[in-house]
Amino acid sequence: MKLKVGVFKFTSCSGCQVELIRMNEQLPELLNLVEFKYWAMASSKLEDGPYDLALVEGAISTPECIEEVKAIREKSRVLVALGDCAVTGGVPSIRNWMSQREAETIVYPKPGCIRSTRVYGIDEYVKVDYYLKGCPPRLENILEVFKAVILGVKPRLRQHPVCVECKFYENECLLTTYKQPCMGPVTAAGCGAICPNVGRVCEGCYGPMSDPNIASMVERLKEIGLSDDEILRKFRKYAGMSKLYREVAKL
Amino acid sequence: MGGASQLFKTDLEGLDRLIRKLRSGGYVVYGPVKQGRSWFFLEIDSVKQVDLNYVRTVLPPKKLLHPPREKLFEFKLDDGFEVSEKPTPSAVALFGVHPCDLKAIERQDEFFSQTPEDPYYLARRRNTLIIGLTCTRVDENCFCLSRGTGPEVSTGFDILITDVGNGYLLEPGSAKGLELLKSLGFQEAGDEYLEAKQKLIEELKKSFTKHMPSEGLAELAKSLLDHEVWKETAERCLSCGNCSLVCPTCYCFDVYDVLELNLRSGVRVRELDSCQLLEYAEVALGGNFRRNRFQRLRHWMLCKFGAAGGGLYSSCVGCGRCIVYCPASIDLTEVAGRLRGGG
Ligand code: SF4
Ligand code: SF4
Ligand code: SF4
Repeated sequence: MKLKVGVFKFTSCSGCQVELIRMNEQLPELLNLVEFKYWAMASSKLEDGPYDLALVEGAISTPECIEEVKAIREKSRVLVALGDCAVTGGVPSIRNWMSQREAETIVYPKPGCIRSTRVYGIDEYVKVDYYLKGCPPRLENILEVFKAVILGVKPRLRQHPVCVECKFYENECLLTTYKQPCMGPVTAAGCGAICPNVGRVCEGCYGPMSDPNIASMVERLKEIGLSDDEILRKFRKYAGMSKLYREVAKL
Repeated sequence: MGGASQLFKTDLEGLDRLIRKLRSGGYVVYGPVKQGRSWFFLEIDSVKQVDLNYVRTVLPPKKLLHPPREKLFEFKLDDGFEVSEKPTPSAVALFGVHPCDLKAIERQDEFFSQTPEDPYYLARRRNTLIIGLTCTRVDENCFCLSRGTGPEVSTGFDILITDVGNGYLLEPGSAKGLELLKSLGFQEAGDEYLEAKQKLIEELKKSFTKHMPSEGLAELAKSLLDHEVWKETAERCLSCGNCSLVCPTCYCFDVYDVLELNLRSGVRVRELDSCQLLEYAEVALGGNFRRNRFQRLRHWMLCKFGAAGGGLYSSCVGCGRCIVYCPASIDLTEVAGRLRGGG
């Protein structure tokens, strides 16, 4: 019996779904195991649940979204937050730090018909079984979840910091050696340290790791000369709404 | 090993010949190369690529013997269960390994040779030739002197190179090393070479500024588990794992399977782990023996002080890497000093 899968989207750029589509040659193999019952980006044939697995992309930002995500939860055995927006609100959540009105006016010429709420990850409203962190999550990690759900085991998703993967590649440390504001020590791994691998600081796109020492990280960033405002933006950028960062992001 | 009769000397060109000889003998040769602001053990084909005055590499040569991530074997589930072992590893020559790292390799050798032996490590180790290099300088984070792991070494290498100013002294440390030196037709070195080396080492010893003597440290640390230094230091610790990942004596690893999408075949992977990470001591149902950051930091340092289960195998050789690469400037020698009652 193939796994019945639904892929859903809320407030997001669709990049996480693109990551899934990008699997190319692995797709036929995956299709031996799963059946996409609902995936608007891939097919116009949309079937109602129940689903064995729902992958939910996007943040929740309108009253309608809240009802919809609850309905999806009802119909799904396993529900996965696909990507940062679904996990914590992600990049769209930066609008939480300005007034609703201001954000709406910047984006829409006639904001009169817009009804939006504060931006949250989906677990503000429904129970989430697994979190696929990242902007976007790496395909490898998405496939790990498919395999784990089929086999009924816990997926192996890294919660330790990016520094671990960065050291595996023996990169020069941008923070200690170059005094650059690398967020690696507080950010969850799983990306394969792709930014430090090419000499760029970790931007923190996987959100907080399992046990970030936020106060110490703030000190480290101050030490290398970042202003309070710059530090604030570092923590707000991808995961300011995560429970671990809300305080430092001054929600 | 050795005895004064078996010393050789050469020049830079001679070292180049040594590297070429190893390569033509089937060895992949790795040496300390400078890139950016740091040194790395990289594949080399000439001594010209090497910085013979390097201080320390980011990752120790451990990366070639106990790699950060390795495929142990592939498996397949058909009618039966098939496992394909890894082929014999290629021969590797480590060129320019400093005393602290030589001592660290000796400890790893002992550790992985215990019962049950680690076949993956030992297969690579048997195919590895080690050419040591006496340091020409120490920096503010070197402290091998107080650990008894340098700057002098008498074991742990096949050949030891020392730059004595007007040439290089070559000391064999194994039959293989001796044979290699002879085959290259290097001239025998007179006693003045040894004397020059001794003088150099005495000078080097004077330049150490950091110290962490081993005497009684393990016992002391074990008796001071409630010392305030642990919690105080842990306030800064990021639990990033950098210290243990760069440490030449940290050997802890994790093993897991990666299944193919056919769900019938896959690979078993081994990967370095770190006791500084929350997940390290996690057990079923989310239990965790070291949930608090200070417990993990304390455990790691106890291990480096020789007080953990691994005893001396995983204890500190004074290379200074963990200090250099700690984003929070945590220095285990300072912690040891606090335990001894200083500061
Ligand atoms: S470069 Fe960044 S991710 Fe890599 S070890 Fe340094 S702080 Fe960590
Ligand atoms: S504990 Fe630090 S100084 Fe000692 S061997 Fe390990 S990395 Fe080097
Ligand atoms: S490198 Fe420093 S901050 Fe990171 S885990 Fe080790 S002691 Fe803590």
